Amino acid sequence: MGRKNRFMVVDDELIVRESLAAWLEKENATVDRAESGEQALDFMERNLYDILFVDIKMPGMGGFGLLEKVKQFYPTTVVVIITAYGTVDHAVRAMKLGADDFLVKPFDPEGLGLLVTKLLEHKRLLEEKEYLKDEVIRVRGQTDEIIGQSPQMTALFEQITEIAPTESSVLLLGETGTGKELIARAIHANSKRLGGPFVPINCGAIPESLMESEIFGYEKGSFTGAIRPKKGLIEVAEGGTLFLDEIGEITPKMQVDLLRVLQDRTFFRVGGVEPLKADFRLISATHRDLNHEVASGSFRQDFFYRVNVITLRVPPLRERREDIPLLVMHFLKRFARETNRNVDSLSDQAMKVLTDYDWPGNVRELENVVERAVVTSRKRVIPGDAFAYLSPLQVCMPAGNGPRTLEEAEIAHIRFILDEEEWNISRAAKVLDVDRTTLHKKIRKYGLQR
Amino acid sequence: MRNEEPPKTSYQPSRGLITVVPLGHMKEDVLRVVADSIQGVLRLPVDVTHEVGLPESAFMSARNQYNVLDLIKFLESNHAGPSMKVLGVTAKDIANPILTYVFGTAFMDGKAAVISTARLQLSLNGALVSREQFLERVVKAAIHEIGHTFNIQHCHKEHCVMRASNSLTELDEKMSYLCDYCELFLADAVAEALRDRSAQPRQAESG
Repeated sequence: MGRKNRFMVVDDELIVRESLAAWLEKENATVDRAESGEQALDFMERNLYDILFVDIKMPGMGGFGLLEKVKQFYPTTVVVIITAYGTVDHAVRAMKLGADDFLVKPFDPEGLGLLVTKLLEHKRLLEEKEYLKDEVIRVRGQTDEIIGQSPQMTALFEQITEIAPTESSVLLLGETGTGKELIARAIHANSKRLGGPFVPINCGAIPESLMESEIFGYEKGSFTGAIRPKKGLIEVAEGGTLFLDEIGEITPKMQVDLLRVLQDRTFFRVGGVEPLKADFRLISATHRDLNHEVASGSFRQDFFYRVNVITLRVPPLRERREDIPLLVMHFLKRFARETNRNVDSLSDQAMKVLTDYDWPGNVRELENVVERAVVTSRKRVIPGDAFAYLSPLQVCMPAGNGPRTLEEAEIAHIRFILDEEEWNISRAAKVLDVDRTTLHKKIRKYGLQR
Repeated sequence: MRNEEPPKTSYQPSRGLITVVPLGHMKEDVLRVVADSIQGVLRLPVDVTHEVGLPESAFMSARNQYNVLDLIKFLESNHAGPSMKVLGVTAKDIANPILTYVFGTAFMDGKAAVISTARLQLSLNGALVSREQFLERVVKAAIHEIGHTFNIQHCHKEHCVMRASNSLTELDEKMSYLCDYCELFLADAVAEALRDRSAQPRQAESG
């Protein structure tokens, strides 16, 4: 059974309100009655209505006044105007004001039934249109977020345009924070699968024990706690794009399982016996050198060939320094707007500090740095000293009572970088040039805490 | 309009839980199928009263129809008595102020309902349908409206008698019985109504 509809009958005549409401209530609907436009607006502040049946002739603001208000403040609410026989000119005026339909009293019951069915469908389509409009804005917005005019980025945009309409698997290579997910979304947004979902999975963020059930789903009773069947992310991505971020982190067993899906285009839920069809385009990303991983045996070669049909390299920020001012101004405007700060530019000195910096955390690091500057700035123009902490001199150890042993120096340095990166392990690992597992081990070993 | 036979004298003033009230002349077979079908569906005793004249105040002379809302109020005020529900059956054409005609009307969870046989005798091309088909339509309308008085909403199952029927075609398409769900809901509603009734202090029966 579907959602219960909510209607309102607005008429100053009790008999009309009651007879129409009685008819509508039998259609699995909640029906409110209002005897004036003012009362109807009062109800509308508290409830959402699917259809309003409004009499034209009422004291106070009248039916036309109510119609105008409803269309102004609740554009997806359907309004049906009720007129008396012989007042068709009223109906014409109502339609010009945005009424969705009109009824001339008395009306044929068969016609009323058809009208309600038609209007509910109309309302559903209106809501769907609004949703899709928002989705398109969201998807396009994300595509527009990729900013760059450097030759490297121009070439990348051309490659995206070229490969997006194909069905081939794409492997995105790039350092952490270079915007690989945005590139993946741009490929999805420009592909034939735009109407389907874009499902991102961060392979490094899902514990190994949960990976299988997250990706493939499971059947009821397949393990303790599986009290009902659950769709896996492969099923969720049906008709769309599956984005496996940090694919270098997945286990050899999962590589075999995914390889089978990519080869056969079918899969089984955990505990399932029925093969399910897989219909998705795969985009993967990694900051690792997969060729090296394949050579060392930690990444399967056959799986590598499957995911690596088309390779796109997303350049690190230090290789496209000419894009830094563009990105800085983009983030500055966005954060100034979002945080309601009166900040509109940077001094030349500040921009030089940012352009000269190496950005090991790439665009994500730049984004965080600009956000911090905007939030803490008391001036409209951000001065150069706002970014002094980016200076390499800062990492120098204080003399005198500083660490003496190598281990002490290591602890101090790890703590310093972790604090600087706000304990973001990925970014800190990047700065320290170790992988995250190593950093985690060090944190545990030295008992470091935030 | 058809000539109805005078009511049979065997009908008694209501003492059952459901009362069928002929509003104006009604043929005995119509009243019998209505009473039998309701009794079969609700499994409650059904009484048929003497014929009752339609109130003049309910007549809408401009439309040559009776206002069904007024007829419902009339039954609730004058003929409900100790009954749980009252169903008025008339051969006169009925409508409400906003609809050009209705086959019957009931308020959700209301005390009374009314059905009209006026439009049930005709086929789509205007000829009379067989008596059997006519009576089947009457039964469908009666069960449908009594269902509403027990708060059963319109059903979307294709053949359920609680499916909305705004035309004769739709009325003919559905069956004269409830789907499994509506039957369950109705049985619950009837049981609840009986519980409420037995919980109320018993009123002295007046003559």
